Amino acid sequence: MLKWLSPIILSALLAGCEDPNWHTSDISDIMPDLDLSLVDENGEQVEEDAYTGKTTLLYFGYTHCPDVCPTSLARMTAAIKKLDESARDDIQVLFVSVDPERDTPARLRQYTDVFGPQFIGLTGNTEQLDELTNRYRVSYGYGDKDANGNYDVSHSSGIFVFNAQGDARLLMRNSDPIPSMVSDLKRLMARG
Amino acid sequence: MANKLRTGAMTRAGGKWACGLLALLLSGGVAQAQDLSLENARISLLPGDMPGAGYFSLQNDGAEDVTLVGAQSDAFENTEIHMSMEKDGMASMHAVPEIDIAAGQRFEFAPKGYHLMFMHRAAPLEVGDDVEVVLHFADGQQLPATFEVVSPTAMH
Repeated sequence: MLKWLSPIILSALLAGCEDPNWHTSDISDIMPDLDLSLVDENGEQVEEDAYTGKTTLLYFGYTHCPDVCPTSLARMTAAIKKLDESARDDIQVLFVSVDPERDTPARLRQYTDVFGPQFIGLTGNTEQLDELTNRYRVSYGYGDKDANGNYDVSHSSGIFVFNAQGDARLLMRNSDPIPSMVSDLKRLMARG
Repeated sequence: MANKLRTGAMTRAGGKWACGLLALLLSGGVAQAQDLSLENARISLLPGDMPGAGYFSLQNDGAEDVTLVGAQSDAFENTEIHMSMEKDGMASMHAVPEIDIAAGQRFEFAPKGYHLMFMHRAAPLEVGDDVEVVLHFADGQQLPATFEVVSPTAMH
């Protein structure tokens, strides 16, 4: 029940704290800093300290998603390409798969390589994924398996953005135009 | 293909009649294909055995409404019509059994909406390859089309 309510609560919270200077949504005061315990695309157990020092984009998805996930990641690729070349090393995208049954570390590495060197695949067991998704008040779920064993996965569609210190700063939605994302990323990378 | 095989199996005596019938069938097919057309057909392909998404613009210039009921490609074991949805910050996807396209209307299969989901490729594919796909309609019409394989990074 709480899981279903959370997007509504989140929307209500966000409505009250739009910073006019940001094009996307300012979440500085309502979301906690980056904190995770997952397995990376090399099969290593990792925590958030592995990702501090760079501006970080966090997105939840799965590789059997042919439409929404690649389109969202492609938007991030396009935005990153608009940054100065030197700045592209100071940003990273954490693609967290909420479908660990199918998304092995090797498969995640193969997937993230398509989108650029900034993209890192992560996943975890149910407990680890629940802890992370609950922390950012999002949810995920699985549809029924069809005759071929395929199933759909629902997942949050927003991109959480953290500064180099791991503080939550912005939420970028699919409805945000790429130039807005680029402008906000530049601003965030300049002032933290 | 099926027509050709059937004609080949006919006796000589029946050949002329069969050819006439075949011509009739083919001309009927051509007339139908002119009513339905596909533009900008692309497959956004992920690596390995991850599923791809087919996008296109389908124009129905016919006088009749048509219903798209499926698609098939020899390049993939399984092709389904899917729709992505986004609600309250959650994205989900589900199979769609059929789509009506009214006479004179255009229907878009585009990122974050309707797409063909191509599953389990029969052979490796690369960006730039062409993939033949046949769209199936409820009235029995078939619309063959060539889809170009593109990188997912091209779709945003």
